[in-house]
Amino acid sequence: MEEIIKDLAAAQEYKEGFVTEVAQDYAPKGLSEDIIRLISAKKGEPDWLLEFRLDAFRKWQRMRPPYWAHVKLPRIDFQDIIYWAAPKRAEDRPDEIDPALMETFDKLGIPLREREVLAGVKSKSEVAVDAVFDSVSVATTFRKTLSEKGIIFCSFSEAVREHPDLVRKYLATVVPAGDNFYAALNSAVFSDGSFCYVPKGVKCPMELSSYFRINAAGTGQFERTLIVADEGAQLSYMEGCTAPMRDENQLHAAVVEIIVEKDADVKYSTVQNWYPGDAQGRGGILNLVTKRGICKGSGSHLSWTQVETGSAVTWKYPSTILKGDYSSSEFYSVAMTNHYQQADTGTKMIHLGRGTRSRVVSKGISAGHSENSYRGLVHMGPAAEGARNFSQCDSLLIGSLCGAHTFPVIRNMNPKAVVEHEATTSKISEDQLFYCNQRGIAPEDAVALIVGGYAREVLSRLPMEFAVEAQKLLSVSLEGAVG
Amino acid sequence: MNNEVYVIGRDSAPQYLRLEAGEERSVTLVFLPGAAGRHVLEVDLVGPGATLDLAGLYLCPDSEQLDLRLLVRHSVGGCVSRQLFKGLVGGTARASFDGLVYVAQDAQKTQAFQENHSILLSDAARVESRPQLEIYADDVQCSHGATTGYLNPDELFYLRSRGIPEAEARRLQMVAFLAPVLRRLPEPLIEEIHACLS
Repeated sequence: MEEIIKDLAAAQEYKEGFVTEVAQDYAPKGLSEDIIRLISAKKGEPDWLLEFRLDAFRKWQRMRPPYWAHVKLPRIDFQDIIYWAAPKRAEDRPDEIDPALMETFDKLGIPLREREVLAGVKSKSEVAVDAVFDSVSVATTFRKTLSEKGIIFCSFSEAVREHPDLVRKYLATVVPAGDNFYAALNSAVFSDGSFCYVPKGVKCPMELSSYFRINAAGTGQFERTLIVADEGAQLSYMEGCTAPMRDENQLHAAVVEIIVEKDADVKYSTVQNWYPGDAQGRGGILNLVTKRGICKGSGSHLSWTQVETGSAVTWKYPSTILKGDYSSSEFYSVAMTNHYQQADTGTKMIHLGRGTRSRVVSKGISAGHSENSYRGLVHMGPAAEGARNFSQCDSLLIGSLCGAHTFPVIRNMNPKAVVEHEATTSKISEDQLFYCNQRGIAPEDAVALIVGGYAREVLSRLPMEFAVEAQKLLSVSLEGAVG
Repeated sequence: MNNEVYVIGRDSAPQYLRLEAGEERSVTLVFLPGAAGRHVLEVDLVGPGATLDLAGLYLCPDSEQLDLRLLVRHSVGGCVSRQLFKGLVGGTARASFDGLVYVAQDAQKTQAFQENHSILLSDAARVESRPQLEIYADDVQCSHGATTGYLNPDELFYLRSRGIPEAEARRLQMVAFLAPVLRRLPEPLIEEIHACLS
């Protein structure tokens, strides 16, 4: 068994780890008000947004990084990061996408060309993509089809130019600029991300997705996503991300805000596949992200699904504020860590309205020397009469050098609210492995099979396109972990 | 196994326990109305085969502020720890439970279980529960569970429909909720608790 472990450990590979050679435009290293003014000027932003950034920056300067997560973060020198990097546009054809970028996204399996639809035959797997490369959005597909229905789906910078009222109305209403250290940093220097608005009563005809790619060395990515589903709207949104393999750590500090109005339904899925660092724990992305949604109106629904396989350090708590009466939210998560990866992830369910419901299913898998923690809060406010929560957090340990932890907090202020939490920690039992081996299934396949079954409850929630990818990712991440 | 019962405020309860190889301890902590403040208990399981059976109940009907902190550390393998804490919180009382089970890297074949259940009896009562697991060994069986809720109205209806007065029915519900811990206590103490509930 030990030998198999060693053999497989060497085979691990991260196939998205290539670098695209493309001429890029950089801002000088470091962070100051001048840099923020420069970023804002490059994007041609209105004054109010520049003020917003500067205000956030001033707040950030007075803040300290959070220390409570169960991760060991390398010291981040915020003056040693390039806050803006964008691929240069060829001067002779400014409207076209650089073929090198096209190729990059093709290689990553992200379709940037809208395939021609045959008359009468509509492919079922149509997905509108907003592709973000370092600090800028390079393309957004299917915009015409979407705009026919009144749906706005574009890059954040474009939204600021074309729909300033909407952006201004909703920006920072869920994650205020001074929310936490990394959210404040993001508010000051955010570059690009996606903006999505689905108007009243509209059901989005296709999956929307954003794809984030870090390419340039020495940079950080600070994307900002804002999703608004107006009354009765329906939307499914996916997010994917990758980065090249490098020996240095790169910072990714994003903010995602989701506003769900009355009776609207939003499903947000993520497959996080950042470069996790090598087998010795060198390099990798530091993923320090604030994601939060608000179920504003009654009967609204927000569902989070995440598959975490990447990034050296993950610090991420997609949360929901259940403000509208009878609104509901779910959080499904599979977090897989191997080698020296560290993940501290979970959710916050803040029940304010009456009859609100939430469900949390978290599956942690740790292997190698990794640390995997679930950290969650379930809060029942004094007005949350009849609210209910159920949380289940399971951890699976593979190998004796990793750690799995569960840190839930339950706060109940209402005698008519019910909270239930359960967690278990165990390993793949010898019996299960023996059973599979005895039927001719090789040990590594057996582990993949058992882990697949273990994570199935979450994977089955993912949209089709993602589910297949996630399953593959899990088995790749598992390589070298059999124990 | 001899069960040690400590009524907080009346008996001098241990704040630290150390269990050697093969040692078995069964400890029950009782927080009667009026007991408040922070109570800390730290347990080290340092010898293989040690077994800890820890239970507790807390009654906070008025304005108690109870802060319960437990740390059970498995430093060696082959030990078992069980924890069960149940509480009734009413009035303007605040009860918080903070329990950490720590399993060190070499503590294989550990079994650790932790449960915390609370019932809120009034609008102004507050409950906070933080059951935590920190585990560095893979061949373990660990679980924890926590619930907060209220007395089930269906149960109440059932009892009342059988002619049991409402106050008595509620008392029965509370007794039933506490029963798993109550049965570990000596008879006079059980009667005292029954008296507190009515």
